[in-house]
Amino acid sequence: MTLRDWVPIVALLVPGLGLILVLIGSVVYIAVAQSFGYYALLGQSEFSLEFWSDVFGRKLFSRAVRYSIYVGFWSAVLSVALAYPLAIWLRKPFSGSIGLGALLKAPLLVHGLVAAFLYINVISYNGLLNQFMQGIGIWSEPRRLQNDSNAFGVLLLQVWKNMPFALLLLTGAVQSISDDILDASRDLGAGPWARFCKIIAPLSISGMQAAMVIIFIGALADFTFQTTVGPTNRQSMAQLMVSFKSRGDWHSAAVVGVSLMTIALLGSALLAFTSRVIMRGGLR
Amino acid sequence: MTYQRLNSLLITMVVTVAFIWLAIPFTMAVLWSLVDPAEPWTADKLLPPVMSFYRWVDMWENSSLRYALISSYTLAPSAALLGLCLALPTAFALGRFDFPGREVAKLLCLLPLVVPPFITAIFFSALLFQLGLNTWRFGAIVFAHSILFLPYAIRILTVSFETVRQDHIDAARDLGASAWARFRVAYFPALKPGISATLLIVFIQSIEEFAIAFIIGSPDIVTIPTLLYSALGQDFVRPNAAVLSLILVVPNVFLMLILERLMRSANPALSSGKG
Repeated sequence: MTLRDWVPIVALLVPGLGLILVLIGSVVYIAVAQSFGYYALLGQSEFSLEFWSDVFGRKLFSRAVRYSIYVGFWSAVLSVALAYPLAIWLRKPFSGSIGLGALLKAPLLVHGLVAAFLYINVISYNGLLNQFMQGIGIWSEPRRLQNDSNAFGVLLLQVWKNMPFALLLLTGAVQSISDDILDASRDLGAGPWARFCKIIAPLSISGMQAAMVIIFIGALADFTFQTTVGPTNRQSMAQLMVSFKSRGDWHSAAVVGVSLMTIALLGSALLAFTSRVIMRGGLR
Repeated sequence: MTYQRLNSLLITMVVTVAFIWLAIPFTMAVLWSLVDPAEPWTADKLLPPVMSFYRWVDMWENSSLRYALISSYTLAPSAALLGLCLALPTAFALGRFDFPGREVAKLLCLLPLVVPPFITAIFFSALLFQLGLNTWRFGAIVFAHSILFLPYAIRILTVSFETVRQDHIDAARDLGASAWARFRVAYFPALKPGISATLLIVFIQSIEEFAIAFIIGSPDIVTIPTLLYSALGQDFVRPNAAVLSLILVVPNVFLMLILERLMRSANPALSSGKG
């Protein structure tokens, strides 16, 4: 292609892709620069590793990192583990399967904050769950279930919101496997487990990896579920970043932000790689 | 157990779980929004003792709800229109020209979806501070929303541009049509569902977006999600939060169902809920 061919293409790409690169590029650049002491809103702007060593030295930060990874990892794994069997079950249409699929995917249409409210409503001290458990005689008095310290509430909401998304991606992946291959393996004597391990898993791996990675990044960087239903004695990384920022400590917020991006990147790569190894039954 | 019996057992199980998962929480939300303050809904009663629309009227008259509705429903169409205008040229290039690096360009368009929203929000606000634009809240949110949701817009419109048939364009040109007439007869009919889908998806995403509106908008601009967030936090009044939840969720469910239909006609491969 000559320069004359390139000019109109570049001109067309500028308002869309160009702006995306400028915005995201400058957001990442500002975050990295601020974490090293530049772009100070108050005081001097100069290179410094002080903010990194300061934030990394805090217990608050290491707890937030561990906690966010815990939420991110389990949200991704549980959502995908629940969605897989459902996707395989719904692969071949049967009467009512479209309705079932729509029912299962319905939480996609519900805003996360609304989901958090619905959840709080059900598990509150005088809520339905407490009354039910007392009604059937398992609990003798209502229990405090809100903001539980193991973050089961956060995980439940993450799965509530993300399982349908994983189902969407996996249904697509599983439905694209042709019947011929599955019939052939059945003829050759493969049972359901062997068919899953040798045919379905390897052929739907990219859908599964995409679901894992997207859910992991979203849950790792969670703010709303954590601040509404999460444990009050721990902070997620996004929450820590926002709290630094609202105190005007932009540099520490930037350190947390850059760490969050790095963990998202490395964690996604690791998750994608590990799931490939597991689904293919070893390194090949 | 036969395959059919197993299947109906599974169907019953999934429907039961979905009932607990969806129907019960939503029924509770509707009931809570109807609780009349004259008599509280206590744990020993199955239904609220007195039901009325008092909370709805009260929220409408005495809270920031009206203001939040106005700002959400002004931000969203503005972001949708701006997003469409920004996405069209890029989608045209990606859909109609074959150039080296096109696949890389398509991948780079997905960048806003990979960076966590609170990072974008916080460091975009840092950027606004550096540029001295930190009081320009409304415009900043519209700008950020339109770019953040460009990946959806570009992807949908690229597919629409790919479906425009070259023989239609050639035929129009052979018949002497001007550039505008060619766009009207050859491009526009194929692009129409994609344009509507783009407007709708950016609209829905913008109505639902929380991080940017929360970080950049506060304290001046209140949107429905930020209002709901504060209703779930420091000023938690259950019936009020129920009213807000329903206001946020009900219109969007209908809009999403329309979107699903549009996406199906724009491109069957894209019909996937939120995209």
